[in-house]
Amino acid sequence: MDSPILLLLALLVALVQCFSDDYHSHNSTRHHDYCVLGAGPAGLQMGHFLSKSQRDYIILERNSGPGSFFNIYPRHRKLISINKIYTGRRNREFNLRHDWNSLLSDRPDLLLQRVSRELYPDADSFPRYLSMYVKELGLKVQYGVDIGKIRASESESPRGRGYILTDQRGLDYTCRVLLVSTGLWDPQKVQFEGSDLVEGYESIPVDPEEYKDQAVLILGKGNSAFETAQSILGRASRIHLYSPSPVRLAWQTHYVGDLRAVNNELLDTYQLKSLDGLNSDGKNSSKVTATNLPVYHNDNFSLRQPYDRVIRCLGFRFNFSIFDGSARPPSSEGARGRLPGVTAWYEGRGTPDLFVLGTAAHSRDYRSSAGGFVHGFRYTVRAVHRVLELRYHSNSWPSIKLSISQLQSWLLRRVNEASGPYQMFGVLGDIILLRGSHCEYLEEFPLQALPQFSSLSGHQLSKHGLLVLVLQYGLNRTDSLGPGRAESEWTRAWRSNFLHPVLYYYDKLPTERDMRHRPVGWPLPRPKAVHHMIEDFLTEWDGPISHSQPLRRFLEHCLHTDLRAFYAESCFRFSLTNRKPPLFCRQGYLRKHGVVRNRQLWQHAHEAGLMLGGQDSASPDTDPAFPDYLTQAGASVSSAINLDF
Amino acid sequence: MAWFICVIILLLCSKSEQCTTGNASKLIEHTAAHFFEKMQSGKMYFIYFGKQVNPTIGLFIEQLEKSADVLEDYGISVAKVNCTNEHIAKYCTGEKLMKKVYLFRGGNVLKSFDTDTVFDVNAIVAHVLFTVLFDEVRYVHTIAELQSVERAAKGKADIVLGHVQVLGLPEHRALMETAFVYGVKYQFVLTTGGPVLTNMGVDDISSLTAGLWFLHCKGASQSQHSDPCPHTALRRALTTLHIYTFLQLMEAPLVSEASVEPSEVNMVHSHLQVPLLFLFSQPHTVALDRVTAQTLAWRLRGQVGLVLIHRESPDVKIPLEYNAAYRLPGEGSEVKYLILNNLEEVIDLFRDESTPEEEEEDDDNWATLDVLDDEVAESVYRDRGQSLDMDAVTELTADTFHSTVAESDYTVVLFYVKWDAVSMAFMQSYIEVSESLEDADVSDVELAVLDCGEWTDVCSAQKIRSFPTVRLYRPQEPSQPYQGMLGTESVNRFIMLSRLVSPVLLSSPDEVTSFLEGDLYQRHAAIAPVTVLGLFSSTADAGVPVFKEAAKALRGETMVGLFADRQAEIWAVEYSVTLPAILVSRGPTGQTEAHSLNLCMPDQLVTHIQRALLDTFSIQPSIEKCGQRAGQQAASEKRMIAKKAATVINGGHSAHLMKVHMDQIQTLKTEIESLKAHQQKEKHYLRAEIRATADALVQSQLALMESRAVNDTVEEGEERDGVTIHARHTCELWNSTSDRQTQHTIPFKCLGSLRNVLVFERKAIFLCPFKMASN
Repeated sequence: MDSPILLLLALLVALVQCFSDDYHSHNSTRHHDYCVLGAGPAGLQMGHFLSKSQRDYIILERNSGPGSFFNIYPRHRKLISINKIYTGRRNREFNLRHDWNSLLSDRPDLLLQRVSRELYPDADSFPRYLSMYVKELGLKVQYGVDIGKIRASESESPRGRGYILTDQRGLDYTCRVLLVSTGLWDPQKVQFEGSDLVEGYESIPVDPEEYKDQAVLILGKGNSAFETAQSILGRASRIHLYSPSPVRLAWQTHYVGDLRAVNNELLDTYQLKSLDGLNSDGKNSSKVTATNLPVYHNDNFSLRQPYDRVIRCLGFRFNFSIFDGSARPPSSEGARGRLPGVTAWYEGRGTPDLFVLGTAAHSRDYRSSAGGFVHGFRYTVRAVHRVLELRYHSNSWPSIKLSISQLQSWLLRRVNEASGPYQMFGVLGDIILLRGSHCEYLEEFPLQALPQFSSLSGHQLSKHGLLVLVLQYGLNRTDSLGPGRAESEWTRAWRSNFLHPVLYYYDKLPTERDMRHRPVGWPLPRPKAVHHMIEDFLTEWDGPISHSQPLRRFLEHCLHTDLRAFYAESCFRFSLTNRKPPLFCRQGYLRKHGVVRNRQLWQHAHEAGLMLGGQDSASPDTDPAFPDYLTQAGASVSSAINLDF
Repeated sequence: MAWFICVIILLLCSKSEQCTTGNASKLIEHTAAHFFEKMQSGKMYFIYFGKQVNPTIGLFIEQLEKSADVLEDYGISVAKVNCTNEHIAKYCTGEKLMKKVYLFRGGNVLKSFDTDTVFDVNAIVAHVLFTVLFDEVRYVHTIAELQSVERAAKGKADIVLGHVQVLGLPEHRALMETAFVYGVKYQFVLTTGGPVLTNMGVDDISSLTAGLWFLHCKGASQSQHSDPCPHTALRRALTTLHIYTFLQLMEAPLVSEASVEPSEVNMVHSHLQVPLLFLFSQPHTVALDRVTAQTLAWRLRGQVGLVLIHRESPDVKIPLEYNAAYRLPGEGSEVKYLILNNLEEVIDLFRDESTPEEEEEDDDNWATLDVLDDEVAESVYRDRGQSLDMDAVTELTADTFHSTVAESDYTVVLFYVKWDAVSMAFMQSYIEVSESLEDADVSDVELAVLDCGEWTDVCSAQKIRSFPTVRLYRPQEPSQPYQGMLGTESVNRFIMLSRLVSPVLLSSPDEVTSFLEGDLYQRHAAIAPVTVLGLFSSTADAGVPVFKEAAKALRGETMVGLFADRQAEIWAVEYSVTLPAILVSRGPTGQTEAHSLNLCMPDQLVTHIQRALLDTFSIQPSIEKCGQRAGQQAASEKRMIAKKAATVINGGHSAHLMKVHMDQIQTLKTEIESLKAHQQKEKHYLRAEIRATADALVQSQLALMESRAVNDTVEEGEERDGVTIHARHTCELWNSTSDRQTQHTIPFKCLGSLRNVLVFERKAIFLCPFKMASN
């Protein structure tokens, strides 16, 4: 009796369900927790992390394939990011230091070298690599969705604030978190009289024959300008490059966005007087370069001859126009306002839950580090993902718990292989939270966000303080190729010029104020103690005298502990004669895990006079818990007494 | 024999006049008659009238006794009158506790003190001397007062201005003692803070507890009435010795001139342990050089002695490029030459006691810092010329790791990084293991290493968190970490034992016997004689799986057997334990012990077995119940350790003892370690107490030695120079030694000797040592 009714009810329910499903799919609203805007390298990189942590995400792309920027740019089709396959090492992490194009993934072979073996690969290989990346990792990318309008949703949805994206067909996408990785597309323009006659880098013909015997003026002195100049060098009669600022060479400034040596053939012809030249007026006037040149007043004015062509190679700007007022991040203070302003953890200023990724997020480290380039932002994207994981899913920043006696070799391991801090020097750094006999090791935290460390990482600081490991260039600019450019004496490590690891020790977190008032050029405020590891020509920081021992002493200074290693015999002696044997003995020997010397090493140690042997005991009176130099430093009492007489 | 003792007593008595009283203290106890008699003598007396003694008064009397020795040197006798026996009107009041001390001179009360004011030796001496020297030491508070003193002193005497924040402290005493000696030579002025100090250039008055300034008024002309006298501050702590040195320096000429090598210049400064600064002058610049030297000398007065050396003299052979040199105090310290460009440099050289000596030490430090001070790192570094024979082990890579681990029955992997000295030191032992495995014809074990510096992915995936890490891999089983000693022998034993199934299932009593005696696994028994056997009445026993689990965890550490049969009950009766139980056999020669088991969690059982393995010399006191509280455990451990330690120390009665492996001692250490932690707090208090007692002891010794030294010299006679030399000698001895042990004793000698000098000065200046008394 009941069953037919039940059946009917079930049918009805199913029908309604069907309808509602139908209704949803045809309704113009789709919801995702994460919307990633743009399937460029940054968007895909974020896609990988979101998919790895199994989040509800979608990557929206207006074109039909990933990385479409690279289908057009660079116009002369040669990437200038290096793709070094042979490094002499098999360490994957280390090799990423010399692979500037690949994205991060868990697959050891998902690298650009599978697509191209060239050091400077062809530009077409990059979109091909990205397609492969999408396919192999199964990333959810929706192509052909051209978002024209983004607004913040003020609706009281249970998920809180979100963003509504509208595409070209009027379809709405609602997202809890919006990740903008649209890159830079809008060519930067300059207005002056006759600027309508100027051709843009985006549309110039790339066939050199078109420039045969022409006088060409190129506006700009960046890589695109030089790349253009180089391609027409053999055809054009005269090539002049003009910009208000002087040429900055990447190998001098250590900034990969500056003119790379692969593009600077023109410098050669300029300096060898072959009709090409650079001009920097310093006057940043937009009227000078056109028709009314002041040739009447100054017959030596360098731009007095007319040009057949003027080409603008001034770079790109962020497309702010798709953002509604409610969702638009402000223009950055630096980078001539071309980029959106973001916080230290890449969230738009004033637009919570909207993060900017990739090249568009370069305002944080404009002209100082690699955040605007694939090899840099692949790590900042990872950092942003870790911030997201804590904020929306309460997964704190991944950390490794280490015994304090292992800290030194762990630090050496990181400085010797880590790619993130190496590429994003001065921007991302490892944080070591000291907790007495052990410590927590957090990798690649955005340094500028240190004041908000606890809320961004989910880790609390203990009273023991923290260490920050940063790689940075020396602050005193020297002649990059001149003599004395490198330090080799470890006692002068603080004067190192080339990229080298620096450890900062703080007993408490720096505040916002400390951060703002940090010394010029420093990535962090003045610490309680700082340690520079001497720059190394091979970037291998493993010398016992130059690298390990000074580092150990620095750690001992910060931790107030003897971190030396001892053989079992010494530990035995210490254990019987001291109330508290050294840490190494306590964590090793006293847990039946001591180091037994073999005869040869025993001999060496004895020759060095370091063993506390019976008759040649080094100094039985001194406290073994402190190496001699520490007692010297700390024992103000004894020195004061000595001076009394 | 008796006569011998008599001689000694006689000798002692002739040596010390106190001998007759039989009491070392110079505190006299007066009777009433005695008191009145003494009052007429015109001497000074410091007398306490007392009745009852409570702890506070008791302490005071102790201090009074000590001060008696000191004050006697200043011609003041210290006495006490017991008011219960004697009654002296006016002084012996009716109160039970009397808290007044009186200073008499010729029968009149000069001043009375509260016992709270004169609470210890320092306070007594300071206050008494302050009263005695009332006319000589001026007390000032305002600037005007100081100015009037200055005006009066100008052209006549220099002023010594002392500042103490509180009266009665050691600084006050030091000042008063100096004033007693030098009171006629200099005008002493005392202040306890206030505006006077700001006049002396002190910024933060409240932080300065004591200070001393020398006002050069003697040389100042009287005409410049309003100008204050130039002053020099004592930059060290206010002690008798420092003040003495300082005053000597003030007496020394501002700039001396010499025409000899700097090393031969002999000045009072070197005796006073003050550095000397030499400036080299040329004939045509002498006048200018003198001005420079004068300016410098004023700036450095009290810290450094200045000598102008005339270069033209034939005795002087100084390289021309140098214009200055300095010599630090101390016998045989070298003259260091330098070039100075301006005055500030020189002043910086001596500023804040950071004498150039320290800078040089720094340089030395850099050099010594270049030497590896880590014995493991150093020995590995010294071995860098030798290349390791890596062929003996398999070097794994990311590509071969998984296949190797899957293919061999046993793969032992050492994870290392090249920059870790411990890893590299252990690597040598590890390679030696491969040799011994080869010798033992072991072929199913793959000995491998993996460089985490290169194959970082593998190490991250294997969650390697420390270097070196050794793990044993068996196909289809979780890896087993090796946690023993990082040495050839231990690793070898681990590998050999790991190859045995754990637990070994035994089926017959015969097998059990041969297992326990080491016959069953002879090769293993040779390297690990200790075996553990679990006894269960049947295989159905609930404890069997737990035991098996524990045995698995102990694999590699020891041989574990399992016998589950009815017959086990016989064994249990034989060893008088109840089942389930374990038998620990220490090989054919050692004995077998039995322990009842209280089976709970496998890991607890593991700890339990491990402990049973250790306990070679005493029988486990009792089997602890599961979940026993830590406190109780600690207590029982304490007992065990005491037993074990005793056996170790008495040891030697058994040949077995001689073979005790280091491991066992180590575990002992671990346990002691945890006990120590328990006792730490207790010890802390105890130490503090001991320290306090020691401090008190040191204090009293100091006083004692001082007074003795004074006595001695008074008796020994007038050889002033001899005493001075003596003082210097001991001071240097102390100064040159860096041994902390001796620091406590030698300074007293110095201080005492210096006091001798003070007393002698006084004598030398006024033949009559006690001015006040003669008044």
